[in-house]
Amino acid sequence: MRDERRSFSHVQNTFVSLTPYSDHQMRRYTRLTWLDKGQRTLGSAGAGLSSSTAVGTAWTRTAASCELPTTPRGGRAGRTEAVQRQSFQMTMEVCRPGQSFFKLIDTIATEIGELKQEMVQTEFSVRDEEELIECLSIEKEMAKNILVEKKAFLRDSGYESVAYKPSILDKLLHTHPVWLQLGLSDYKVQNVLQEQPPGTFLVRKSSKLQKKVVSLRVPEEFGFCIQEFVIRESSYTFSLEGSGISFSDIFRLVAFYCISRDVLPFTLKLPHAIVTAKSDAQLEDISQLGIDFWKSSVNIRPKYPPPSSQPLPQGSVKRQSHHLPLINGVHSLRTRTPSELECSQTNGALCFINPLFLKVHSQDSGGSLKRDSTRAQEANGIERAKSPPPRPPPPSINSHRTSLQLSRAVPSEPSMPETLINNRHGNLDSPKNATPIPPPRLKKQATINRWQSNDQSPSLNSSCTSSFDSQPEESPPQKPMQNMNVSQISNSPVQGTLRLQRLSDMSISTSSSDSFEYDRMVPAFYEGDSLEDCEEESDQESMAPPVKSRKKRATSLGFSKIVKTHLRKVSGVFSSLVTPEKKMVKKIAAMARDKCTYFGCLVQDYISFLQENKDCHVSSTDMLHTIRQFMTQVKNYLAQSSELDPPIESLIPEDQIDAVLEKAMHKCILKPLKGYIENMLKNFRTADGSWNQLKENFLLVKKRTPQELGVLTPTPEAVDVEKIRVKLSTMQKMYSPEKKVMLLLRICKLIYTCMENNSGRMYGADDFLPVLTYVIAQCDMLEIDTEIEYMMELLDPSLLHGEGGYYLTSAYGALSLIKNFQEEQAARLLNSETRDTLKQWHKRRTTNRSIPSIDDFQNYLRVALQEVDNGCTGKTLRVKPYTTTDDVCHMCAQRFNVKDPENYGLFLYIEDTWQQLSEDTYPQKIKAELHSRPNLQVFHFVYKRINNDPQGIISYDNDDDNNNDNDADF
Amino acid sequence: MAIRELKVCLLGDTGVGKSSIVCRFVQDHFDHNISPTIGASFMTKTVPCGNELHKFLIWDTAGQERFHSLAPMYYRGSAAAVIVYDITKQDSFHTLKKWVKELKEHGPENIVVAIAGNKCDLSDTREVAMKDAKEYAESIGAIVVETSAKNAINIEELFQDISRRIPPLIPHQNGSNGAMKLGRQSLQPTSRCC
Repeated sequence: MRDERRSFSHVQNTFVSLTPYSDHQMRRYTRLTWLDKGQRTLGSAGAGLSSSTAVGTAWTRTAASCELPTTPRGGRAGRTEAVQRQSFQMTMEVCRPGQSFFKLIDTIATEIGELKQEMVQTEFSVRDEEELIECLSIEKEMAKNILVEKKAFLRDSGYESVAYKPSILDKLLHTHPVWLQLGLSDYKVQNVLQEQPPGTFLVRKSSKLQKKVVSLRVPEEFGFCIQEFVIRESSYTFSLEGSGISFSDIFRLVAFYCISRDVLPFTLKLPHAIVTAKSDAQLEDISQLGIDFWKSSVNIRPKYPPPSSQPLPQGSVKRQSHHLPLINGVHSLRTRTPSELECSQTNGALCFINPLFLKVHSQDSGGSLKRDSTRAQEANGIERAKSPPPRPPPPSINSHRTSLQLSRAVPSEPSMPETLINNRHGNLDSPKNATPIPPPRLKKQATINRWQSNDQSPSLNSSCTSSFDSQPEESPPQKPMQNMNVSQISNSPVQGTLRLQRLSDMSISTSSSDSFEYDRMVPAFYEGDSLEDCEEESDQESMAPPVKSRKKRATSLGFSKIVKTHLRKVSGVFSSLVTPEKKMVKKIAAMARDKCTYFGCLVQDYISFLQENKDCHVSSTDMLHTIRQFMTQVKNYLAQSSELDPPIESLIPEDQIDAVLEKAMHKCILKPLKGYIENMLKNFRTADGSWNQLKENFLLVKKRTPQELGVLTPTPEAVDVEKIRVKLSTMQKMYSPEKKVMLLLRICKLIYTCMENNSGRMYGADDFLPVLTYVIAQCDMLEIDTEIEYMMELLDPSLLHGEGGYYLTSAYGALSLIKNFQEEQAARLLNSETRDTLKQWHKRRTTNRSIPSIDDFQNYLRVALQEVDNGCTGKTLRVKPYTTTDDVCHMCAQRFNVKDPENYGLFLYIEDTWQQLSEDTYPQKIKAELHSRPNLQVFHFVYKRINNDPQGIISYDNDDDNNNDNDADF
Repeated sequence: MAIRELKVCLLGDTGVGKSSIVCRFVQDHFDHNISPTIGASFMTKTVPCGNELHKFLIWDTAGQERFHSLAPMYYRGSAAAVIVYDITKQDSFHTLKKWVKELKEHGPENIVVAIAGNKCDLSDTREVAMKDAKEYAESIGAIVVETSAKNAINIEELFQDISRRIPPLIPHQNGSNGAMKLGRQSLQPTSRCC
């Protein structure tokens, strides 16, 4: 499905670049129909929700492109409509359910080739006369540049600035300390916005609504000065209430509403200073001011109403229209704004906005420049802008990493030479306004030539790359030839070329578009890490590594290499759309490795501290406990600190934040510590002998029949036990407690299936727990013990009440039954909470002592360590009947890690009194004597400081391991 | 509406029908939108209550004596406990009393206790009088109903009663305080909706 989805958007994008101007109605009609059709088609292909999202995405872009700025001129409409209809029909035809999308691509691409030619002509025919004349007559480089620039202004959608460099999204990301004021109070927001021109906005969290809102300054005519629009946060998206358009984060949402008003009375306006900022440095300066920006001198407030005061001569007329109150009439004035989508009419349909859209149209609005196709060229262009002599382009344009780095390194990239969409093929290489250096154009030309000659080349990529690499300066400026080029292209043989070229346009711009924000911060780890993750943590059964399967599928379909490479690139967009939380996790993980951040320092220091100080914990529980605590603290720190930039609330819906942070903690803390923790858990168990004891008990219990263990239902066969063992081994390879628990659930599910044995009966805990105990014993894996402790202690506490928590508890319970099997009866003495139960037990024990022999349970002694500050911890020691108190004290000192054993002694606590046992007594004999008393009293053996006043510190709850563990967890 | 997760633990002798009650409760009017749990030992069901949604996370326990010592792990953190006895078995009523006692001593504070006399369809062989159960429940301030999982009698009602006793969530309060008092106050609005 993935492939198909990708190819679908691929088609869309291809289509987009060719879609001719259309009238408003037509546009809407087509868009909706397409969406509907596309959804059905995809649905029938088994696409499900995600693909319809993809359709929405792709279509949004298409629709947006339809609205590309052109001057509306009479006489054109008919022609346009015809073209539009034609393309639409074609689409309908092609979109037959069940038909392969790949075929669809081909068909569309071909048809589009034809369309394109028509359109080129259309374009010429409708072009403004003087413009056309100019266009055709001016042949010199400079003149061309001027033209392009002029066109740019003419096509300006009416946005403030014409000449800024960073895209809107970039600006928003840079300056969020200014407009993203989550903590700002109702009163203060009034204070700030009052003095700003209408359209100014802040994003904050309303204390009244307990929701994020866009606080928008509205004109006085509205009767109030601030209107608030609630931001709805559903599971993975942000949207304005009443709108059907959702965004993966706040930045995209705001960026969109800077371009399109949708449900707002008008579009959002960034402060003048931000809009006109031309470099990162300027934006940085602004963002330094934070909230103070609004009152600072930097925030030049053009007098209200501000539109005409803007010092941009060329665009001012149109701009004015933009500032008019936006009622019906105004709409027509704004029709040519590329981005004025009435997306809300999708009526609640989930619709992600393709990042491409914002990327492209933020530029349209900025300078009405369409981004040129390749990132490589952009980078190139920029470099050129800095230093006139053209430089060789980066080695590879298809490396994701490269593009990431590029976007990081070259944030002003959007200022690159852009072509109008409608002009795109004609003006492929139109140089950036004001930058009269032709090389990109040259290269493009060269590339085209190359493509033409390489028509049959299997990999477009490689040909692209090589053309950049090897012949960057190849063909000299043929500037005015472009248009000619295109018009010449009407011969059929060239169609193939066109298609290829467009494919590359699309895919390249796509791969660049997903990089604009946080991703770029983790360039070095990006791919390797995700692969590693897949391999290490994916469970073959359910979560196949996406990367691998994708490749496999593409290959198996025998899909043409060319398309395949491009599809792969497009996938970037989807990953950016589908999993903002994954990005966040990656970002945090990268930060954790970066010692330059406070957070990174914290994490790295903690990890190395743990690894270097193996003795710092007295028990495994203690160790896991501190790790869990550390994770929780760091999580809190991250949620509150400003170190995450942009703040996590702006990228992840609130109810997801904790889960995302938790995942990130697993990745940056547990992943590196996994080996260490495992070792330590084993060491502790070997040291205190419980490992051996468990081993013995496993053997013992394994010999019992299911019936002896209280099982009344069918039990898993050997085959199933083997399956469970495999799952347990898989579990050991994972570092995330949540994933381990997922596996545990699968194991339990399998057990249920075996129990039910097709009977359809539902079994409750009465039946399940004995079977689980039996199965665990059959598996006979000591590691289960450490695995369970790992999960119990490290699992996110919020999950402990859920299904995972339940079965974890059951597994823990089953295991502790096994652990205590030999001393089952003896242990019950210490585990039981009431005298009543004890008395019952005593009765039973004396009447039915055949199961555990008295010798068995006499070999163990439960001793509690009492310390003033720590309360009590209990340990079961192997104590033979003839072991003296002195020996037991030595054992205790060792087991409890007591540094000064001479100050400790063994005490018997009975009936609220303390008796210190003398060195030569035999604790087991004392125990036996106490047990044989007719009226059993509660008693405990306690290892404690001799001089310590013990009054009443001991209590039932604290005197055994189980309870301690539970206290910690539940 | 805010969803509140409420842990409910099921206690009682083996064979009294603990899991049958839950199965009946969860599977009647089964909501296919909610992903079912893997087995009947742990089940969930969401019911509206006032202006909240209560998601019951129902923890079944093994009733055999040998598993008794594990019980604290199950009832820890529960908002409510349903203690089930079999009206045809006097012994199971004794066990019930022990559970009540244990919960009072070691259970969570303010846990809502509900007593369910199951198998009321078998009243011919009844050993525990309804009156005894009622008096006992009153003495400990617990909910009491006689149920039949088999015939779906009083199952919904049992959980509705529990829902009403759960104090509505007040911001910065975890709902563990003043269960009884607040529960009564919330009776008015909840009865309308439940």
